[in-house]
Amino acid sequence: MIDAVAGLLDAQGPGHSRQRPGDAQSRGEHRSVAQPSVAQPAVERPSVKAPDGEQVGGEQAGSGYLPESTASNQQQAAAGPQAARPLRALVIGYGSPIRGDDAIGPLVADRLAAQLAADPALGDGVEVQARHILTAEIVDDLVRAERVVFIDAAADLTPGEVRCCRLAPDTATLSTMAHFHDPRELLAWCAALYQRSPQAWLVSAGGADWGYASYSLSSTAQGAVEPMIAEILVLISPSP
Amino acid sequence: MTLCTLPGTATMSRTISIDPVTRIEGHARISLQLADSGEVEDAKFHLTQFRGFEKFCEGRPYREMPALTARTCGICPVSHLLASNKACDDLLAVSIPPTAEKLRRIMNLAQLLQSHALSFFHLSSPDLLLGWDSDPAQRNIFGVMAQNPELAKQGIKLRQIGQTIIEMLGGKKIHPTWVVPGGVNEPLDSSKREAMLEMLPNALTIAKDTYALFKTMVPRFKDEAEHFGTMPTMFLSLVSPKGQLEHYDGFLRLKDAEGRIVEDMVPPSDYPRIIGEAVEDFSYMKFPYYKPMGYPNGIYRVGPLARLNNADSCGTPFADVALAEFHMLQEDSGPVRSSFHYHYARLVEIIFAIEMMQRLLKDQGILDTRVRARARGNRNEGIGVAEAPRGTLMHHYRIDDAGLISWVDLIIATGHNNLAMNQSIKQVADAYVDGNKLSEGMLNRVEAMIRCYDPCLSCASHAFGQMPLSIELKDAAGNTLDRLVRDA
Repeated sequence: MIDAVAGLLDAQGPGHSRQRPGDAQSRGEHRSVAQPSVAQPAVERPSVKAPDGEQVGGEQAGSGYLPESTASNQQQAAAGPQAARPLRALVIGYGSPIRGDDAIGPLVADRLAAQLAADPALGDGVEVQARHILTAEIVDDLVRAERVVFIDAAADLTPGEVRCCRLAPDTATLSTMAHFHDPRELLAWCAALYQRSPQAWLVSAGGADWGYASYSLSSTAQGAVEPMIAEILVLISPSP
Repeated sequence: MTLCTLPGTATMSRTISIDPVTRIEGHARISLQLADSGEVEDAKFHLTQFRGFEKFCEGRPYREMPALTARTCGICPVSHLLASNKACDDLLAVSIPPTAEKLRRIMNLAQLLQSHALSFFHLSSPDLLLGWDSDPAQRNIFGVMAQNPELAKQGIKLRQIGQTIIEMLGGKKIHPTWVVPGGVNEPLDSSKREAMLEMLPNALTIAKDTYALFKTMVPRFKDEAEHFGTMPTMFLSLVSPKGQLEHYDGFLRLKDAEGRIVEDMVPPSDYPRIIGEAVEDFSYMKFPYYKPMGYPNGIYRVGPLARLNNADSCGTPFADVALAEFHMLQEDSGPVRSSFHYHYARLVEIIFAIEMMQRLLKDQGILDTRVRARARGNRNEGIGVAEAPRGTLMHHYRIDDAGLISWVDLIIATGHNNLAMNQSIKQVADAYVDGNKLSEGMLNRVEAMIRCYDPCLSCASHAFGQMPLSIELKDAAGNTLDRLVRDA
């Protein structure tokens, strides 16, 4: 799926202003990282306010967002051990594997998964998913994670350019289709159903070719893979 | 399928045929024709998108067909995958190993579980919980979460379980490639079987609780049940050789509106004898009909409602109890006729799917490693029929001696219901359109009635709260009196 988040963020209404990475309650901040150099900012842990005003996330969140013991948690546990396992970070790369550079999300996810598997300390508590699209059941995974990084291709960026956007729950992104959901809508599902939502970012890269391909990228998009992985590693790194 | 153009809307037709965004979005249009008396004379449901799968598959190797046709939909790719592979099995002239058939059945049931869960919990529950006359801005999934968060969580959980089983079997949730001509390409291992079996009791608890909740809600919808598609039609579905509920194989059965069996134990390969396809100039969706009665008298419905009406029993404990209660929805002894009760039927089928998956996974031969029959094309024509969540799905291919596709006919579940959906719109319009003015409540009910069928217009009707829809009201001379448009 090709993201157009920048445009949507701009349309969030009066009073919205772009904020620096790490600012609390930011809804539309993003930074572009000129390829091939990659900015490596210190990752702050901004707070997100749930709809009820409860402060969640950031250093206030303690060990994570999952409640100590709730009916829903018990229900999750009954569904299987994996369903209840809290995650330090969840990384979800999504896009069509057969539409050229739209595959960059799942391809980067695959590369990252291999990298984390080779370094257990780095990958501890991190789950990486490669998906075609974002669907409703992902909410069950999102709510287990302290931080979530979505990876997608972008049509509104210069080909090869990498961007990192902070995401926040947004009910205005409600999808009229069931096939695909905006990541901010799924974060809003988390907030509405569980009164908490993970800290979330969208790391995207401009694509150059959207024609048919078999899980492969144009050379331009290929050049964005390593910068994206570097960006994601910063976002999911354990707090000092 | 014959291409047609919309009369008097040449610009729209051209736009649709050349604009891929419009095709993908799949907007629907409804037009109502008024008689001189002001009463609704005719209603039409226009599908204004054109996909062209039957044409662009020509010339491709038949082994590509499962992967190609699965792209018809992102919600029910498994259904196309199965029907297509069954057609390919027929081209190979092989009988697939028994374990492969059981594994395919499990995947089909997992697909049914996740798709029905999506339809009930996420697409229809805003109508059912919040009401047709509620504020459209609130009548969406967030409104449901506010009113009944546990129900929304349970919907997510059921869908997750269905999708996880598909992923465990097929390697991925969307467009899995594990099912192949001749069987499946990998046997099931014991760890996956145990993981699936561990999830299913929770799924069954959710399904039974939801069923019990919905039973208490049904009396509230007496008015809708009386006006949402109660016209007399036949019902078509697969049944097992014993006449039981069937989703993967078996034989075609057709019952009439009074419950008399019109056709029974028809081999799927014989479907062209009983099913014809008509084309109308106002829609890209074909109009299948029962051939012996002609078009349009040969109207029938497919999907959960038809399957439960046709089945003598389900064959699993809780689903059989629910089936008996389903039949009590109809006051006389005939089939359940209101399309509103598709919702009820979906919940019964969810229970059945979970129970049957448990049974299949506990089968002692389910871990057998012989799961694929290998052969080259041995026939020039193949037919595959399976029950998709929305109804009977038919794939029919012809190939040349080099194995290249020369002709394709796909009859999808939503197509079977096309005549019935048009008549249902007419019925809702008769009940709710007053004079020459459209109201929001009428629009809501038309939308909700369409959603009873859970049509797969490759996206358009899978809408949360609001589907992109326009309704036109015309007088006898064809002049537009009123128009309501709801954008996506």
